Amino acid sequence: MSEFFSIFEYAFFRNAIASALLTSVLAAMVGTYIVSRKIVFISGGITHASFGGIGMAYFLGLNPFLGAAIFAVFSATGIEWISKKGNVREDSAIAILWSLGMAVGIIFVFMTPGYTPDLMTFLFGNILSVTMAELILLAAFCLLTALFFWIFYRPLLHTAFDPEFSQIMGIPVAFFRYAMAVIIALSIVISIRAVGIILVLSLFTIPQITAMLFTRDFRKIIPLAAFWAALGSVMGIFLSYFLNIPAGATIICYLTLQFLLVKLFVISKDALKRQGPGKVHKG
Amino acid sequence: MNQPLVKIEHISSGYFSETVLKDASLNIYPNDFIGIIGPNGGGKTTLVKTILGIQPLFTGKITFPLGRPAMGYLPQISQIDKSFPITVRELVGSGLGAKRKWFPHLLKSQKTQVEKLLGEAGLLPLASRPIGELSGGQIQKAFLCRAIINNPSLLILDEPNTFVDKSFEKELYRWLEELNRKMAILLVSHDIGTISPMVKTIACVNVNLHYHPSNQITEDILKVYNCPVDLIAHGSVPHRVLKEHDHE
Ligand SMILES: Nc1ncnc2c1ncn2[C@@H]1O[C@H](COP(=O)(O)OP(=O)(O)O)[C@@H](O)[C@H]1O
Ligand SMILES: [Mg+2]
Repeated sequence: MSEFFSIFEYAFFRNAIASALLTSVLAAMVGTYIVSRKIVFISGGITHASFGGIGMAYFLGLNPFLGAAIFAVFSATGIEWISKKGNVREDSAIAILWSLGMAVGIIFVFMTPGYTPDLMTFLFGNILSVTMAELILLAAFCLLTALFFWIFYRPLLHTAFDPEFSQIMGIPVAFFRYAMAVIIALSIVISIRAVGIILVLSLFTIPQITAMLFTRDFRKIIPLAAFWAALGSVMGIFLSYFLNIPAGATIICYLTLQFLLVKLFVISKDALKRQGPGKVHKG
Repeated sequence: MNQPLVKIEHISSGYFSETVLKDASLNIYPNDFIGIIGPNGGGKTTLVKTILGIQPLFTGKITFPLGRPAMGYLPQISQIDKSFPITVRELVGSGLGAKRKWFPHLLKSQKTQVEKLLGEAGLLPLASRPIGELSGGQIQKAFLCRAIINNPSLLILDEPNTFVDKSFEKELYRWLEELNRKMAILLVSHDIGTISPMVKTIACVNVNLHYHPSNQITEDILKVYNCPVDLIAHGSVPHRVLKEHDHE
């Protein structure tokens, strides 16, 4: 037991836990929006397009996260623009963006002379090396997003659900759609730090669908998803530390297992209810 | 002469370069109850969306001689994502505009208004449910509440009688008759038989628009209008019993 608590004496571990909790809250808000609007595939495109920015930033000697953020924001707003125009096969456009982003990234990383530090961090994440500065940035962005969600809850929900009706009501639909595109892009890039490009989308979907096993009320999905995400990522960090396996992948595996167990629980609870209370008491 | 609420003159509209509605003209007066009929894909939805301003106008013009009226809209249910996690209460509340631009939550008085309408519609027990858990009729009712909560002077309903049972349909029509005392109504349906006893006039839409200033229509007239719709839809509907509606 003392070994268990002694790891909290390390700053890196406390930072990792703090980062996991903040990322969970951020992903819960933004992911609930993504899952509700059924734009998971779009978000996947944005995520992978950002790798092009990482590669380019390496090549130019800039901060890779800045490159990722720029690529992500441009692809997110670009997709929103294409879907508004509507005469392009949106799914094909996203697939192109998805693979093109990765391809551009790979070429630039290849062309970058010498060693590319932290490349694995971007692909798989490294939550155990989060710095204080990164933590502060994450906390600030999380707070701003929470404020935005709280203040503009109604137009956010309404423009996601029925943009045409919102337009009739005089809501600036384009503003909220684009604002959310930017928030989605930046949230994904910030969360890449913790779990990496390949895994980040799971953080924005698995806790949400776990929460949706209990409620289909947008307002209630967010805190519940935050709970499942926080539980999953903290458990993942502990497991990864004690089993000495990569944290990002452990978190995602744990989140998936958690979803399956909760689903099983919900199914059997429903089945018991259908059998009637009499039978349950006998057992 | 009484001024129209909406004056639609020779409009065409469509999607990208494809024109699906051509040279349509129609005047909507404050007490009108117009049934818009036509075959599937004839352009009924495109017409109402153009009136609502959410579909671009290719040519022609739409004017509002009495000033732009508040419009209530019930979209065709097939265009709605019923699995979206929004509650009935939130849905109905979305028909109310925000009073404060930078803090667009509903005021207390608006929340009371939502509860009151939910109560009148018998939706109060379902208010906290997501719309995905409702039956067809209950969903239409919730969307109708959203459409009328702002007291519009023009109510536009796009096929509100799809996926609903007979008892709800009767209730809906009673409701519409009541509402028509206060607002003009445009009721889209591909099922003329059911709506004809209630509407006052009919517009046939099949690329072109033909206005028929009565609620009685025959096969021959529909043929002239190039508007192939079934007169006898869904079994026996007494669409000859119309005189009782002449109380206006
Ligand atoms: N979003 C869209 N994009 C392209 N074509 C459309 C779209 N919506 C409708 N159409 C086409 O416009 C025509 C008229 O459709 P619509 O107005 O929905 O007819 P109705 O409501 O009478 O069934 C149809 O041929 C349909 O295929
Ligand atoms: Mg239609």
